[in-house]
Amino acid sequence: MIDVRSLPKVALAALALPLLTTAASPPAKETKTAAAVAADWAPPGGRIGYVLWDEYWGIRETEGGKEECPKGWNIGPREQFAILYPDQGKKRKLVDTQLAYESQVWFPDTEPDGFEYHEATGKYALGIDLDGKSSPEDFVSDDGRTGIDNQLFRVVGCVRNYRKEGELGIITTKWRQQNRFNRVVFELSNVDSLKNDPDVDVAYFRTLDHLLADSTGHFLPGGSQRIDTRFGKRFQASTKGRIVDGVLETDPVDLELPELALSDPSIIKFKGTKLRLTLTPEKAEGVLGGYADIEQWFYAMNTSWATHHASYGQASAPSIYRALRRLADGYPDPKTGENTAISAVMDIKLVQVYVLHPDAESLMSAR
Amino acid sequence: MRRRVRVFAVGVVAVAAIGATAAVGVMNSNREPESKGTPASLRLLTEQQYLNTMMYVFGPNVRPTANFAAVPRVDGLLNSGTALAGITDTQLEIYQKTAGKVAAEIVREESRGYLVPCTPAATDAADPECARSFLAQVGPLLYRRPVPPERLEALVAGANQAADSLKDFYQGLSVAIEGLLLSPSVLLVAEHAEPDPDRPGEQRLDAYSLATRLSLFLWNAAPDAELLKAAGSGELHTRKGLEREVDRMLASPRLETGVRALFDDMFAFEQFATLAKDNLIYPIFSGETAVDAREQTLRTVVDHLVTRRQDYRDLFTSRQTFMSPSLAPIYQVPAPGPGWEPFEFPAGSPRAGLLTQISFLALHSHPGRSSATMRGKALREVFLCQVVPKPPPNVDFSAIQNPDPNIKTARERVNFHLQDPGCAGCHRITDPMGLTMEAFDGSGVFRHAENDAPIDTSGNLDGVEFTDAAGLGEALRDNAQLPWCMVRRAFAYGTGTPSDENDRRVLEYLADEFAEDGYVVPDLLREIALSRAFSKVHPRRERVVHPLPDLKSAQRPSQLTAAAEPVATAPQTLTSR
Repeated sequence: MIDVRSLPKVALAALALPLLTTAASPPAKETKTAAAVAADWAPPGGRIGYVLWDEYWGIRETEGGKEECPKGWNIGPREQFAILYPDQGKKRKLVDTQLAYESQVWFPDTEPDGFEYHEATGKYALGIDLDGKSSPEDFVSDDGRTGIDNQLFRVVGCVRNYRKEGELGIITTKWRQQNRFNRVVFELSNVDSLKNDPDVDVAYFRTLDHLLADSTGHFLPGGSQRIDTRFGKRFQASTKGRIVDGVLETDPVDLELPELALSDPSIIKFKGTKLRLTLTPEKAEGVLGGYADIEQWFYAMNTSWATHHASYGQASAPSIYRALRRLADGYPDPKTGENTAISAVMDIKLVQVYVLHPDAESLMSAR
Repeated sequence: MRRRVRVFAVGVVAVAAIGATAAVGVMNSNREPESKGTPASLRLLTEQQYLNTMMYVFGPNVRPTANFAAVPRVDGLLNSGTALAGITDTQLEIYQKTAGKVAAEIVREESRGYLVPCTPAATDAADPECARSFLAQVGPLLYRRPVPPERLEALVAGANQAADSLKDFYQGLSVAIEGLLLSPSVLLVAEHAEPDPDRPGEQRLDAYSLATRLSLFLWNAAPDAELLKAAGSGELHTRKGLEREVDRMLASPRLETGVRALFDDMFAFEQFATLAKDNLIYPIFSGETAVDAREQTLRTVVDHLVTRRQDYRDLFTSRQTFMSPSLAPIYQVPAPGPGWEPFEFPAGSPRAGLLTQISFLALHSHPGRSSATMRGKALREVFLCQVVPKPPPNVDFSAIQNPDPNIKTARERVNFHLQDPGCAGCHRITDPMGLTMEAFDGSGVFRHAENDAPIDTSGNLDGVEFTDAAGLGEALRDNAQLPWCMVRRAFAYGTGTPSDENDRRVLEYLADEFAEDGYVVPDLLREIALSRAFSKVHPRRERVVHPLPDLKSAQRPSQLTAAAEPVATAPQTLTSR
């Protein structure tokens, strides 16, 4: 008989692995984890999964925006409306005012609108070098990496709605946590060491289950996520990666991120996506960078957020669209040559889960 | 021709088997030692028995939320405590509210069509015939015996009066139903004795009391119409009739409910209602975890004992169980599905048997730490029917709560108890196996170390040594006291009375039968239900009652004898002075 006391804790979970194709068990206490990781810990079966629970657009903020927004904040639809249609006792028709502005929200163009748009500037930004080049518009990361591609930061970095003071970040994360439509995992396999491994497989899935949380709302490792094999096929992708000093970096891959907001299932389409995540047996934190499809991103923005979000957060959809088109830096249209995607970064947090690969599609009616 | 021969042969074998079974039954009944039997008791119907009865009589939709008062645990069982419980005004109010909910559910428009067997001539007036038809149908199922005609007529009159007053037949009927459910004949299980014609000088339960005892034992609900019919015809007092009914009950899906109730009681799972864990120390342990931990063990028990008819003792070594998403993180395994799924811990896993399930480990721990003593005590009391004395009131906790950082493990802490002769007497019988379960923290998570010090999980149980919790499970499985305790608890649970020295020979006989049957619990339940001791009644011993002194007059009242003068009259006597 096996003397279980002689086994490392994680090996005990591995004993259960033949039951299911799945991932690792984290040690029970973080204090012990550090020692375990330092000893070149490898997940049982070489697999470990992480589920996304926190995200937001990668905006590097300084106090009052003094570095990135020296010209101040952008104005929103209320302020623009007041400038476009000043109350001077003049009678105006609805079609010439509200509806005219609303048509710009849904059918924007790239003609100048007369409003000065403040792009975020500066040397630094969050992100990853997506194209392997150092271009003039690229940033430098806080840890000194160059060639950081994050043009979306320039678009929304000075829009208050998208900064920490805005409400979008809080709500987006809440939707990520509460809506199972939005549940996605990354699963690493072929992992020989979570500290250093030059060749690991990284798979991306949409899954079906709630997040495991304690009574105070903190998300905990050790939950289980079943892959959505029925409706989630469009949310699956795989690539290669490498782990260096506990940091995973992946090769580019196209993936779609489900973002169910109020009741509209928005999708963010990323091309050439790369991950850069700091890994522990319990969690993964870092960035997801990729080229976001402009039209899809803009549509998702308009359908996810109500007018009051845009008004109070000073986020003018027509102006943002023009900036998106102006600053787009990837995937040019073969016919027009205009870029169709913009480099974007998400600041993400994930927690360890067991990823369950069903043997076959399970129909609700069969249960 | 070959087919006919084969059918004939099968028939012969079947007849022979039936004959052999009957012969064994007769032989067994002859082997049963003489006993005094048990007292005919007066008990409270438990909340679950009440709810199960409502569900079986009126359908699964009639399942009101109820919150009946707790009953005391006597000799390891709540069921034995129901004979000590009383009904206060507040409880009566709860019974009334529950009865009101049941009545409302029966007469509501969506239900009345199939629950009331007739349609009144007019819905805005009384209809005595229709009311009588309904009440005559459900009355015996709730009273657990025929309703006396005068009582039935009183109920019908009540329904009529209320219907006329409220100008609504169904509202009138609901008033009668509410009254019916508040009857002591429904809420109290009053067992009646009668002379045993086969054994002059002896008493036995009357047929309806026997039917109720059987039904509460095996189904945790009131008897169904068929059982009442067997009681009414006298068949239940024949060996053949009793066997037929017991076998029918054992084959019923309701047996699962009955077995769950037996083990929920035996394992003291009502404590889950007040189980709390410190969220900072055990963040994964939630209220849902507690609910699922209880359910996991009960599912395991039913599957092992009833569905697969396995050896009771193997419950303490089996790695087969069921898993839910809220338990999987504590077991550090993937959840096999979104709900309950069968699960087997692999060989070599530290999990084997009930002692390593969260229900046992978490229930017998402190909110913020494990407890070798509580677990060892529970093992002895719950599974071995032993009694561990309570700690003295002046127990010194300073050693166990010593903040000295050099004292890292529970073994080192409880070692202080073993050095104190006043403590060692009890701790020597609880800690040697409790310390083995220190491999699991207070929420049930497996661990190798405590405060970074490796945990020594060696121990012994009544002289059998082991090195880990799986070994402890094997030692418990092979402990002769384990099946004996099961027999003792099941007999006490079935008869509603704690076992005493008079039951010793019968319990030994049942334990032998249990062993011969391969420790199959449904067979044990059958043996108990068919035993003479189960239906034999002896007069309750007279209890001497010493009333409290009259504080106003400082006079000490004379002793009262319970049998001569009911306890309830004692306060009147005091007041009259």
